[in-house]
Amino acid sequence: MIIKRIAVLISAGRHPTSGQPRHCRNDSLALTMAVDLANSHSTELDVIHAGNPENPALANYLALGADEIKVITAEPIIENLAANLKDVDLILTGSRAENGQDSGLLPYLLAVKLNIPIVANALEIKQMDDKLEVLQFFPKGKRRRVAVKLPAIIAIHPLAFVELHYAYAREQQGKIVVLDSRSTVNNTVAENNLQWQIQPKMRKPNKLKAPENLTGHGRLLSAITSENKGGTVVNEGNSVEKAQVILSYLREHQLINF
Amino acid sequence: MMRINPRRSAKISAAGLKRIVLTAPANVETPHPHKPLLTKKNSKAHVLVIAHSERGTLNDHARQTIAAAAILADAETKVLALILGELTEDLTSAGADEIIVLPELDFERFQPKLELASISAVIESVQPMHIFMPDNAIGDGDLGRRLIASQRTKTAATQVVEFDANHVANFQAGGTLLAQSALPEIILLAPNCVDAHLPFATSAERSDSTVTNQTSANQTETSNYQDLGLQTIAATEIALEEADFIVSAGNGVQNVATFESLAHALEASIGASRVAVDDGKFARDKQIGASGKTVSASAYLAIGISGAVQHLQGIKDCRHVIAINTDASAPMVKRADLTVIGDAEEIMQTLIALIAVAKLTKLKVAA
Repeated sequence: MIIKRIAVLISAGRHPTSGQPRHCRNDSLALTMAVDLANSHSTELDVIHAGNPENPALANYLALGADEIKVITAEPIIENLAANLKDVDLILTGSRAENGQDSGLLPYLLAVKLNIPIVANALEIKQMDDKLEVLQFFPKGKRRRVAVKLPAIIAIHPLAFVELHYAYAREQQGKIVVLDSRSTVNNTVAENNLQWQIQPKMRKPNKLKAPENLTGHGRLLSAITSENKGGTVVNEGNSVEKAQVILSYLREHQLINF
Repeated sequence: MMRINPRRSAKISAAGLKRIVLTAPANVETPHPHKPLLTKKNSKAHVLVIAHSERGTLNDHARQTIAAAAILADAETKVLALILGELTEDLTSAGADEIIVLPELDFERFQPKLELASISAVIESVQPMHIFMPDNAIGDGDLGRRLIASQRTKTAATQVVEFDANHVANFQAGGTLLAQSALPEIILLAPNCVDAHLPFATSAERSDSTVTNQTSANQTETSNYQDLGLQTIAATEIALEEADFIVSAGNGVQNVATFESLAHALEASIGASRVAVDDGKFARDKQIGASGKTVSASAYLAIGISGAVQHLQGIKDCRHVIAINTDASAPMVKRADLTVIGDAEEIMQTLIALIAVAKLTKLKVAA
């Protein structure tokens, strides 16, 4: 199978310090990957943004390689996005936005709506026949290769090996198109919805601690005794026995596999 | 005048009061003698914690999540922990009342459909009030989001950094705003927002899972996903911050060649203390500690490192610390889970020899 249409979902980002609108880095990685893939397979590429078409952040995406950005203004976002993504073979997006709730849920909700698979934390993508091979990020130096059947949604991990190329000329050439603003879907029931209240002041979050009503005696005890400080100390034996102790510790905790 | 024995046998009551007993106290073997055992009788409701295990144990983040559920649960609410992957450790101090282990769903295999079906079956059968999951990259964050997307009638919050019985809070708009909301049904917790230390122990009984048989039938179902295997990046190519096994050298290491061959034999990344770096034995980017790198390895083998405060700061997130040192009173000994007192060079040489033998026998068994 040949990928005929690729869609990239982009969101408006903001500078972490100044708050100025700019591209969202996670989404630009997805855009650059999609442009590379579209160029090598000469496929059609749709760059889609749901939100305000006048947002100055969108110009950044034009500079980063999008020829045209389609903007969906209708609400609700997920349903209207899904309606525009019905015949797309591959959907790429960043793993987390920099605006709004940035819960990282959008690709998952969209996958359920479109009934297609989703792979998150992708570092690399490669096309293999009717499948897409994805390299997934795992902490502690682990990576996983997954093949996923197309059509699929891929959420790109922030550590993906992609170099962004910014060109002012492209920003001038590119255009932003607003798609039909009428919602094509009826608003369904409120889903996963929580009423979030923005706190007036930024503060350090409070850590949850188990209440401990100790008596004076108990508090004194806990102040003067500390829970197991230090582990086992091996003093005896020759070097072979000592080395054996280390090896058996490593084996016991499955830290080595020999 | 009669002298009263000041060390008369006494026991500490549940309220923390010392009570003198007239007869000798029976030596009751409890796993956590200082903590009262909190048993939940006649539980009317459940809170469910779902987490993947790593090498048969739960990491700190997963333990914090169980502790969070245990703190919120009242006397009539049972904390049910659903562990995906095998579990070899005891969870009585973690706060779980009941444990279900699904060893075939470990994080190393990619089977999102099967995982989602299994946890949905458990959720269906126990109808928990709240579901807690750690929002991590070893599969729980992904699975949690799949769960939220599949159960759209349930309220949910991700990357929760603060919560109590009435509210949750998380950072929004790229971490520039703190937003607060009522306690939702599905909660994905960010790391370090809960103190995992609990003043009570729980029963942590294992119950046989009823979902196992059900899910194994699903296994044959053709999937949209195909797992092509987990791979580990070679220890030499990986950044020290991301490394899982680090062998670190200090002033006590005289022969760097032996040290490097030990690291090679263990397939571990190389780190060093400030003294060893200042001596020119290692590059500056290998330095671990306050002015170097902060590491979070599962295993940290400290050879000839006395353990200055600055160095211990750099290894505070390491799970298992093993030290080889000549000085039994060094601060590193207090931090280490296992300390071997002896000559570093001699023990390193022996370790290399033993590892070579172990690898050879493993090869022979496999052949």
